[in-house]
Amino acid sequence: MFKKNLKKAITLVLVASMMVSAAAGCGKKGEDEVTPTVAPTQAATDNTEKPGTETPDTGNTETPGTTTEPTTAPEPELVIEDFGDADYVYKDSVSTLASNWNPHTYQTTDDSYPADFLRVGLYSFIFNDELNPVEGKEAYEGYVIVPEMAAAMPVDVTEKIKAEHPEFNIPKDATEGYAYVIDLNPLAKWEDGTPINADTYVYSMKELFDPQMKNYRASDYMDSDFVIANAKNYYYQGTESYDAIGVKISEYLAEGKAVEDIYVDMSFWGVTAPDGTNYALATDDTMVRDEAIPEGQPEDYVSAKYLYDTYLGPGCPYESYSSAYLCTKTSYADNYDFANVGIMKTGDYQITLVLGKALAGFMLHYNLTSNWIVYQPYYDACKSQIGETGAWSTTYNTSVETTMSYGPYKLTQYQTDKAMRFERNENWYGYTDGKHIYVDPVDGLTYPMYQTTAIDTQVVAEAATRKLMFLKGQLMDYGLQTEDFDEYRSSEYTYVTPSETIFFFIFNGYMDAIQIREGKKAQEDGTFVTDFDQTKYDLETMTLTSFRQAVAVTYDKEALCTAVSPARSGGYGLIGTNYIYDPETGAKYRDTDQAKQALCDFYSVDVSKFASLDDAVDSITGYDETAAKALYKQAFDEAIAAGYITDADGDGISDQTVEITYASSASSAFITKTLDYLNKKMNEVTAGTPFAGKIMFKESAPLGNEWSTKLKSGMADTCLAGWSGSALNPFGLTELYTNPAQQYDAKWFNSSSVDITMDVNTAGIDNAAKVETVTMTLKQWSDALNGATIEIGDKSYNFGDGIADVETRLNILAKIESTVLMTYNYIPMLQDAGMSLLSQQVFYVIEEYNPILGRGGIAYMKYNYDEKAWADYVNSQPDGTLSY
Amino acid sequence: MFKYALKRIALMLMTVFIIMCMCFILIRMLPPVPLQPGDPHTEVLMARREAMGYNKPIIVQLGIFLKDIFTRWDWGISDSLYYGQNVWSIFVTKLPASIIVNLYSIIWSIPVGIALGVFAALKKNTWIDHTISTLTMVVISVPSFVYAFLIQYFLSYKLSLFPFLMKGGTDWFSKEMFISMVPAVLSLSFGVIAGFTRTTRAELTEVLTSEFMLLARTKGLTKRQATVRHAFKNCMVVIVPAIFGNFVGILSGSLIIEKIFSIPGVGGLYLNAINARDYNIFMLDTAFYTVIGLAASIIVDISYGFIDPRIRMGSKK
Repeated sequence: MFKKNLKKAITLVLVASMMVSAAAGCGKKGEDEVTPTVAPTQAATDNTEKPGTETPDTGNTETPGTTTEPTTAPEPELVIEDFGDADYVYKDSVSTLASNWNPHTYQTTDDSYPADFLRVGLYSFIFNDELNPVEGKEAYEGYVIVPEMAAAMPVDVTEKIKAEHPEFNIPKDATEGYAYVIDLNPLAKWEDGTPINADTYVYSMKELFDPQMKNYRASDYMDSDFVIANAKNYYYQGTESYDAIGVKISEYLAEGKAVEDIYVDMSFWGVTAPDGTNYALATDDTMVRDEAIPEGQPEDYVSAKYLYDTYLGPGCPYESYSSAYLCTKTSYADNYDFANVGIMKTGDYQITLVLGKALAGFMLHYNLTSNWIVYQPYYDACKSQIGETGAWSTTYNTSVETTMSYGPYKLTQYQTDKAMRFERNENWYGYTDGKHIYVDPVDGLTYPMYQTTAIDTQVVAEAATRKLMFLKGQLMDYGLQTEDFDEYRSSEYTYVTPSETIFFFIFNGYMDAIQIREGKKAQEDGTFVTDFDQTKYDLETMTLTSFRQAVAVTYDKEALCTAVSPARSGGYGLIGTNYIYDPETGAKYRDTDQAKQALCDFYSVDVSKFASLDDAVDSITGYDETAAKALYKQAFDEAIAAGYITDADGDGISDQTVEITYASSASSAFITKTLDYLNKKMNEVTAGTPFAGKIMFKESAPLGNEWSTKLKSGMADTCLAGWSGSALNPFGLTELYTNPAQQYDAKWFNSSSVDITMDVNTAGIDNAAKVETVTMTLKQWSDALNGATIEIGDKSYNFGDGIADVETRLNILAKIESTVLMTYNYIPMLQDAGMSLLSQQVFYVIEEYNPILGRGGIAYMKYNYDEKAWADYVNSQPDGTLSY
Repeated sequence: MFKYALKRIALMLMTVFIIMCMCFILIRMLPPVPLQPGDPHTEVLMARREAMGYNKPIIVQLGIFLKDIFTRWDWGISDSLYYGQNVWSIFVTKLPASIIVNLYSIIWSIPVGIALGVFAALKKNTWIDHTISTLTMVVISVPSFVYAFLIQYFLSYKLSLFPFLMKGGTDWFSKEMFISMVPAVLSLSFGVIAGFTRTTRAELTEVLTSEFMLLARTKGLTKRQATVRHAFKNCMVVIVPAIFGNFVGILSGSLIIEKIFSIPGVGGLYLNAINARDYNIFMLDTAFYTVIGLAASIIVDISYGFIDPRIRMGSKK
């Protein structure tokens, strides 16, 4: 009986659960619904409107101060293909959804995601083709810079502005590069049809630099190469800033700076300055009471001068803290007038930009590919003051309601941390101006850009889920994971996307730290490390150049990639294969003779033994077993002589194991696999040498974000790390290896102590060549290469962009690269790249990767199937699963 | 009882206040998220921190924080994760997704778990009991994200019965939304079902062997009557608090499950706020879960009195 009733009870429970479920299923549909995977009903715009009929051309006005008059466009015979009214939805996934795409405040790459759809710059890049040819380049081999939100290329008016506006402080001898007139595109509108004119630009820049808002992106226009004149004075008005010097005080003073300008951050000692603030001049001997010390005891009163002289100054016990607790002060005047900031309305559709630093050519256009404009009604409404702090904040561009597009798409749906949807912005001029078209390199026909009618983006955090969705046709691409390489690397849908970053081994050479770790030298508190067994292990040997050289030729870089990271390729130099030294032509640094010779020098390749320099470079694998064995023997002899290691039994084998600690932020399969490979190959190469089985890479405890600090302070020995930067400026990378504030090896390599002598053309770009033999330090060469004027004796040298000729700059860059490589503080290992599968629904117009344009992005993407055909195609596959 | 409840509530408020103050001080003592050396935005970030009052003494910041809450119910704005947005609005917007998924899971899991536990207890030491008990142990031992991937693979990928992810939008009670939640609900349910099965079985097994059960049977009650009227009621002293505990859990979301099924809930909010040093989101999270946790414990304690009249709360005798 009970059994029967229990069955009934269970049945009742299940029925109740089902009823609850069914009731839930009958709920009302919400208003804010986001349907990321459902195809839209948006009709595609007919892009067949012929230019030359009603489409106005903005023209290129040469005369500043006049507004642009629309004229009719030529090329009436052009036939543009029609994509019809089908739906083409790009189905994208992200790990983290944008939460703030305000051009003034966004901070992360995730937040910049919507920018490509909602905004366009004053200028933009497109591929070169028959419509936009580049001399000497095949179609789609390069790119063209074209006006977008601007009507024409900028016109240099430096002389005029210098004469009329002394408030911008344009240097007296400057004749160009400081002021530009930009005519604006009169067709540009917000998505609601409101015109975008000069007032929009001036208002938006005023808001960008608003001193109350403290906008994050303001620094893009103040602290970079693109500096709006006097913007900093406006942004920081009425404030004083104390900025840590960032380097040890001895290094700071070595640059010729005065101690009289230094302030001590008194919080270092837990006291305040005499005026109640945290800062006092390092020369101020006014005593302040330290409440933590009883009266009458030593240091019951201290002054800034005392702290500096006793603890923080050069040679003092806490000098290492000086970079953080010694500061410089900058004062900004109050009530600074925005009229003095370098943006002026000089016509209804014309602005004049005045720069604080000269900038011209490609880099000027490149900086103007981003835009700062905001929609005034929304922007004003979104600003609010935060409680009683006095700070202001804004919710502009954080939702559909606070977003107004002026790009090819508009935001139509957004759910925080879930999904966003973009649909065509029918008010975008690009759909009707007849300029956003291209010639397909395969069929030779002309197509409108932006075939995609909508973009559905949703958060898919797990790679495993992304893969399943991709195979079901629900996502457009899938970034391959390590476990996928075997199956998909040779698929016709797999694309490799090279990256700028070179991953190199940073090699510890900081002898002081190493000796402290070994217990041979006292720590700061006077005690010694006692848990290091000097009879079994050694760290000092790794500081020997011969040892580092040996490690540098121990590994075949391509074999390493195959073993641990198949998407990547071997890295040989400090500067990756993607860096372009001449943006006008797209010429890559790594393809130059100078760069090739630098590699041959570093890897000791005798070029004369090869038919060409290219053949010599191609022979480099990074692996030379014979040389490595000889170098390990040499390192052994040197280490014995220096007393780093011993050979007590005289068997010619080191008694100690050289232990190289790999700085790991967090354990991962990649690190484990890498270290296993490194140790295996090391054992193979050292067999028969005095270090046979005596060199070992070991992983550190998880260091989190501290990994770089540990490396820089010599408390860890190596790591695969790298820098990524603008692919258009390889010259700027030299800063990373010569500036102590950025160097990984600043503690054991002083770039100011290495002299380089070179024969260089010092005549500048526009004059007849004049070759001089110049000797400067590595740091000075780097500074001069990046636009600083270096005084040597009675001569000054500057090899910056637009000042020195390109060949000279390449020679200097290659020399700096090879000099840094020869320190063996950095051993290049991997060239970064990613590998992904592209959906069968779409294809790229061009397969070759372009460092500037990639493969054309959403503008050039074409579809094999519209949404309906795609659904049918996927359903027709076995189990509805696509095969790649 | 009423006096006891008031006393507990007063103590709860004091505890919340102390925890809030401690957490406020501790999170502000953490150093800011480090920037890359040479980051050109360093200066503007420092200026922003100054403007936001983060350089003021922590005790002053605490005073401002408490004043804003008590006078204007203003929990501040997010300064990094959801820049410029009111943290209370963000939290309230994200809460329903977590609640609804967990609620479905509990509504389904508790009766099933209890039923299986009762069944196992009544079939004690039979193959049915052994099977249920073994499965329970296995299910409890395996983390829920393993089920999540298995369910996603088989039900969504292989059989195409459900979507891979939870549907977007706020139509929480639509049919499409419910169907899209099923994989997540199932993933969360296994552990809860196993937990209730084990608890119920253990309690009921013990009660069923009690002397008063023998007495009930000798009085002439059938096994069913004795079990339902006496044994099961006694079990509830342990089961009901567990139910409350699970209901508290539904408000906190599940970090892993929400991530796998793209549920826009509060599961990862706490951790992200700490990593990003988003002070105001962290404080709101802290306050919310502290209050919920403490309130639940009061409700559980008071519930004992209702479930078992022999238990007297706050009684001096």
